[in-house]
Amino acid sequence: MFGALLYLRLTSLRNTVLSRVRRLKQPKYLVGAIVGAGYFYLMFFRRMAAGRPPVHGPGAHGPVTVPPELLPTLLALGALILLVIVVLGWILPDQRAGLTFTEAEIAFLFPAPVRRRTLILYKLINSQVAIMFTAAIITLVTGSWGFLGGSALTHGIGWWFILATLNLHFMGASFAMTRLLDNGITPWRRRFAVLGLVALVALVTLAWLWRDLRAPAAADFESFRTAAAYLNTLLTSGPLPWLLRPAEFVVGPFFAPDTPAFLAALGPALLVFALHYIWVLRSEVSFEDASIAKSEKRAAKIAAVREGNWRAASGAIKARKPAFRLASTGRPEVAFLWKNLLSTFPIFRLGTLVTLALVILIGGLWIDVFPGYRGVQTGASAFALFMVAYTLFLGPQLARQDFRSDLLNTDILKTYPLRGWQVMLGQILTPVAILSSILWLALLILLLMVHFRQLAWLTPSLRLVIGLGLVPIVPVLCALQLLVPNAAALLFPAWAQTMRNRSERGIEMLGQRLIFIAGQLVVIVLALLPAAGGAALFIFITQHWIGLPAAVAVAAGGVVACLAAEVWCGLWLLGERFEKFDLSAELRP
Amino acid sequence: MIEVTGLIKRYGAFTAVKELSFTVRPGEVLGLVGPNGAGKTTTLRCLAGIIPATAGTIHIAGQDLTADPVAAKRSLAFFPDEPRLFDYLTVRQHLAFVARIYGVAHHEDIAQPLLEELEIADKADQLPGELSRGMKQKLAIACGLLHAPSVMFFDEPLTGLDPLGIRRMKDSILKRARAGATVVLSSHLLHLLEEVCSHVLILKKGEKIADGTLADVSARFANGEANVSLEEIFIRATGGTES
Ligand SMILES: Nc1ncnc2c1ncn2[C@@H]1O[C@H](COP(=O)(O)OP(=O)(O)O)[C@@H](O)[C@H]1O
Ligand SMILES: [Mg+2]
Repeated sequence: MFGALLYLRLTSLRNTVLSRVRRLKQPKYLVGAIVGAGYFYLMFFRRMAAGRPPVHGPGAHGPVTVPPELLPTLLALGALILLVIVVLGWILPDQRAGLTFTEAEIAFLFPAPVRRRTLILYKLINSQVAIMFTAAIITLVTGSWGFLGGSALTHGIGWWFILATLNLHFMGASFAMTRLLDNGITPWRRRFAVLGLVALVALVTLAWLWRDLRAPAAADFESFRTAAAYLNTLLTSGPLPWLLRPAEFVVGPFFAPDTPAFLAALGPALLVFALHYIWVLRSEVSFEDASIAKSEKRAAKIAAVREGNWRAASGAIKARKPAFRLASTGRPEVAFLWKNLLSTFPIFRLGTLVTLALVILIGGLWIDVFPGYRGVQTGASAFALFMVAYTLFLGPQLARQDFRSDLLNTDILKTYPLRGWQVMLGQILTPVAILSSILWLALLILLLMVHFRQLAWLTPSLRLVIGLGLVPIVPVLCALQLLVPNAAALLFPAWAQTMRNRSERGIEMLGQRLIFIAGQLVVIVLALLPAAGGAALFIFITQHWIGLPAAVAVAAGGVVACLAAEVWCGLWLLGERFEKFDLSAELRP
Repeated sequence: MIEVTGLIKRYGAFTAVKELSFTVRPGEVLGLVGPNGAGKTTTLRCLAGIIPATAGTIHIAGQDLTADPVAAKRSLAFFPDEPRLFDYLTVRQHLAFVARIYGVAHHEDIAQPLLEELEIADKADQLPGELSRGMKQKLAIACGLLHAPSVMFFDEPLTGLDPLGIRRMKDSILKRARAGATVVLSSHLLHLLEEVCSHVLILKKGEKIADGTLADVSARFANGEANVSLEEIFIRATGGTES
């Protein structure tokens, strides 16, 4: 029986790899793979190669390493973190144990004459693929953390021990909690018990510290070394070391600085792993019901995530009141704004925007009267500046209430009596509205609050003109930015579909994502440069004749016209692509 | 009225639909039948303007689908096999959205009777996630019928419905056809097709094997026997194997 399960696992793995390789026949995925592989090579492998002791030139630095006396502290800290994770694993869950099976696995395996223990074993082996992959990736990404000593191999194996033992522990814990539940111990009682235990340990440790140790003094924080020494005494006295010992066994191989230490650490780590293994296999509780419920929920969640639908993925969706009343007739694009606003949080309303703007306006004017509040103004400006940067860079990735979340409804959208560009325009309206509102508010704060002596030329009237000029620029700029991720969804639907689907991630996905983040920046720079350059030149030349405010106003008009033309071209191109788009063909393996 | 001439659809080197020509007049219900993979869905998606045809012309209610897709789409409705709905819109909000897309003035006056006819009026404020499959399908149909299309395409409309649902669906389709709509539907449930369709078109590997009224096609494959079921005819026509 177990042979059959193993066969299932291995063939699935092989077929996944094969279908991914087959997809590389499509040039766009191939390019993604090449860029991704190149990035990986440049970022990680080369760095690892560079981490080797240099053989050339006297000026070359050796790799920085942690002083050996710090290693026990690091080990204890690592163990402490692991322990905290484990404790959280005993506190947070509130459901019965449910091993996560796919719906197909449930349909085939649960009615089959398979022992429960075999299923658990299958699940464990199943998770090994993911664990090994994760361990390898972490090792690569951290450049194997040469400063800790050890090699990429010992670190990779070390990560495997940590992840695999945690995985086993959580499985065993969920079984144990299910047994508690079956014996009438509710999750809250369990939580209180665990928290009580934690509090007890903390109290005992503190009491111990009180008796044997001094409280931290300023001198302890004078240098990194003294702080580490204090931390070390803290972690190595009282009952804490005993509690930390099993966790230290687990992280031991990872922290081993050289091969002998690594080999010595393997034994205890294996012991903890083996004990966990026996614990899990012996604690048979009925997990089938919960597994079925879990897999259904997971399937719904995956579907939601694939559609970029984070609200649905994070829980139940509720019917909402629309942001505004939609008349039956009028421009059809507005219908998309109305629809997509329904899929966001209800704070994104015109009323909220107006209220916030008024609050900022009144607050800003009021605070201006008191010179003593310059600090508040500076703080608010800094915050606003951060918001502007954040929204400009990450906003289009976060506000996804556009074509990206409607991908699966493409067929229906295409039967509507609309041109492709109309659908695309309608789709981006919601994120444009959301991002523009945030930017408008942040810019309002900036214009009201920025006060520096160097900015004395920024007179109130000029501020007003700049503000009014920015009002129309912001939405066109947002629209321009949003064209990029929507183009990505149209050009790489398979990628957009699977972006959040863990089992489907891969190097070509990474490459594509890099291409598009870079693409977004390039588009913005290319689109903005001519307009901004032209505007600056115009202001510089004309301000002497027509005055600065008038020059700014005219230049802003020019920028808006320029950007709007660019948006229109982009929309038209996307529309053309949309009209030829065949989702079913794109999503074929 | 649907007029199709020389419709070809290729996916890369693979030809899914080969040189298909047919005409469906108002009041007629054409049943597309054929084994799995025969090209029924592909044909319907081409006719509804979802995917561009590789070659051939399609006229929907007199409008050329390639030359003026917007005008052609104004008079058609497409119902996919899986109802596609918007997760965050209630039943009523779906109708408001679709009304604006098609510019249906005073849509409430049309929507309410439609919801009542389809028996989902009591679910008007629920989200698709709260509806059963049959209910979702009804909502999709209400959305498609709101703009009173004169041409309708149903892909496997009867699968997944319970017997009562099938009866209601058949009645709905027949009612629209009697009112002058042109209907094309695809289905595997041959005995049910017999009750709905006035014409059939048998497809195999993307090719038309036979088309005409039910009686014509039956006569052609009955070899002189009387009372041959559509199923038997289907098996004879398609050679009984999947393509
Ligand atoms: N997007 C596509 N790309 C390539 N081949 C496709 C695509 N869609 C359908 N096909 C193929 O076209 C043929 C017809 O499919 P379809 O129209 O779905 O058949 P039916 O609906 O009659 O079962 C099948 O062989 C199918 O594999
Ligand atoms: Mg089909």
